[in-house]
Amino acid sequence: MPMSLSRAGTRLRRLMKTRTSITLAGMSLLFSLLALWICVYLAGADPYEALTAMFRGAFQGRWALRTTLSEWVAITLSGLAVLIPYRAGFFNVGGQGQLEMGGVAAAVVIMHLPAPPPLALAAALTACVLAGALTAGIPLLLRLSRGASEVTTTIMMNFAAMRFMYAMITGPLQDPGAWYGTTPIVPAGYRLPLFPPGSGIPVSLFAAVGLALGAWWLLSRTVFGLHLRAVGGNRAAAAAAGIAVDRVLIKAVLMGAALAGLAGGFQYLGHTLRVAEGWSKTWGLVGIPVALLGGSPLGVLLVGFLFAVLETGSRSMQALTGVPAALVFVFQGLPVLIYLALGAGLRRMGDAVDAK
Amino acid sequence: MELDWWLDFLLAVLRAATPLLFCALGVLACERAGILNIGVEGSMLAGALAAVLGAVFTGNPWLGVAAAILTGLLAGLVLAGMTVYLPADQIATGIAFNLVSIGVTSFIYRLLVEGGVRLMAPSLNWGQAGGWLEPLTARLAIIPPLTLLALILVIGVQVLLFSTGPGLLWRSVGESARAAHAAGLSVLRVRSLALLGGSVLGALGGAALTLGWVPTFVDNMTMGRGFIGLAAVYFGRWRPDLMFFACLLFGAGEALAFRAQAMGAGLNPYYYLMLPYVLTLAAVAIVGMAMGPRDAGKPFLRG
Repeated sequence: MPMSLSRAGTRLRRLMKTRTSITLAGMSLLFSLLALWICVYLAGADPYEALTAMFRGAFQGRWALRTTLSEWVAITLSGLAVLIPYRAGFFNVGGQGQLEMGGVAAAVVIMHLPAPPPLALAAALTACVLAGALTAGIPLLLRLSRGASEVTTTIMMNFAAMRFMYAMITGPLQDPGAWYGTTPIVPAGYRLPLFPPGSGIPVSLFAAVGLALGAWWLLSRTVFGLHLRAVGGNRAAAAAAGIAVDRVLIKAVLMGAALAGLAGGFQYLGHTLRVAEGWSKTWGLVGIPVALLGGSPLGVLLVGFLFAVLETGSRSMQALTGVPAALVFVFQGLPVLIYLALGAGLRRMGDAVDAK
Repeated sequence: MELDWWLDFLLAVLRAATPLLFCALGVLACERAGILNIGVEGSMLAGALAAVLGAVFTGNPWLGVAAAILTGLLAGLVLAGMTVYLPADQIATGIAFNLVSIGVTSFIYRLLVEGGVRLMAPSLNWGQAGGWLEPLTARLAIIPPLTLLALILVIGVQVLLFSTGPGLLWRSVGESARAAHAAGLSVLRVRSLALLGGSVLGALGGAALTLGWVPTFVDNMTMGRGFIGLAAVYFGRWRPDLMFFACLLFGAGEALAFRAQAMGAGLNPYYYLMLPYVLTLAAVAIVGMAMGPRDAGKPFLRG
């Protein structure tokens, strides 16, 4: 195709990359909220009442606020766990498994390490970070040595990790006093504190925001971030330019997975206080839509907040207005579908302009 | 007594393996045409609900199967539109589709079931198939209808893929879409057909789960079975015959887990449930993925 003719298409595509992708994500979220509104109406509830119930459930009272903020922490870290490797061309679908293993590792340390609180807490946080990274290690190894698609292997790891977690909480880690699968509750002195004390703000929130800012700086302001983008964009060209592509990929994946593991540790030590049946909900999985829609660490923080509010709010919406909380899943998937469809459609228009 | 136990166990394995067989075939059909069908889990869940609703509201479980097939077609249309025609990223689309499917099915079920009464679907058996089939169905009574269908489909797909002309074209699209396109084949049409078929198969897997096993709908009741189907395809090296044995093996794991749970002794049942994933990872580690269709997961842009 002649260069001069491709200019308009190229411009369209370049536009799409930055400002347009933010606009598209915003539009997708708005469309989805509209769809949610219609569903609430279909369920026979007053949409205004449902919205109020949702906001009350998410923010009214210290416990609600604390739950929302904790969800935000888990979802944000899971989103970063997808985003950072994604930049390097590794689609980490395994956040859920990495998060579960993080929780299990932290629980093992808390239950079996005879150490005073601050030391045990530090050890537990280290353990969950390592567990997350290790869980991604297998898919990473298979990709590098076997050329195995990380999508399938991380999915397999998710389910293997989940079943392993269940085997642990109904076996060696089970609370002897419980009739269902759960670890004992984290003893009082060993929990992550609230800050300021007595408020509804878990200390992990500061860590999560700090990590998101750090990731933003790393991805957009450092040589490493540039290398990530190069490796993810065109591997062969990056290698030809002298970038150690495998090393960059390994770092990105381990970093992301460590954050997912940390999310598991934070939730266990600061919020759920138990690793139990269904304790992790779908935080790790939700990281995928959050990363795709967010597009950058700051976007992840923002979209993560919206998802967290909907997650906690929807439960009170169901209790107060009878609208099924399951709608949250629609809201987690639908904007991604719209976003992908709009993005692909625009790209297609760019190509069509090229072709003329 | 001994024989009874084994026969019982064999039937339990078949019952557990049937939904997996459908899903695995649904994944295989798509992968062979170059599509990574992560959305099979969502198709399965939608099929499970449609089968229950169809069977309950018409009173005839065979119409439940028909409802599942229609739902599968609908899912296939959405997925094909997204991943073949636009084309959007197959993996992201699949994951988002699964999430939407969890939400929509739970939402619809809640709306229809008032006061928390469970809808119990009549189970599918040969008796309702119609009197004129009697002489045939009496002999088949021991194998559930959908299991038989799954077995026939496995053989059919195996023959179609590896011994016929259309099968060769089908595989060529998954192997190299560009070459198939250059040879005058419509890549988009083959891939859309594969996705429609794959989604219907996934939905049938859901129907097999509800009409052949658990006769009701529960939120997210497929619990990753679509992904066990995915594992079976990889473990079975993208061949229906090997995939069939993988499904039996994974079904046996599930049946054993239930038995271990019921007896309350021995190995923790969750270790049996880990089996499909660990074995598949081991298979990938040992043999690699070299035998897979080369273009699976890559979008094809016309022209």
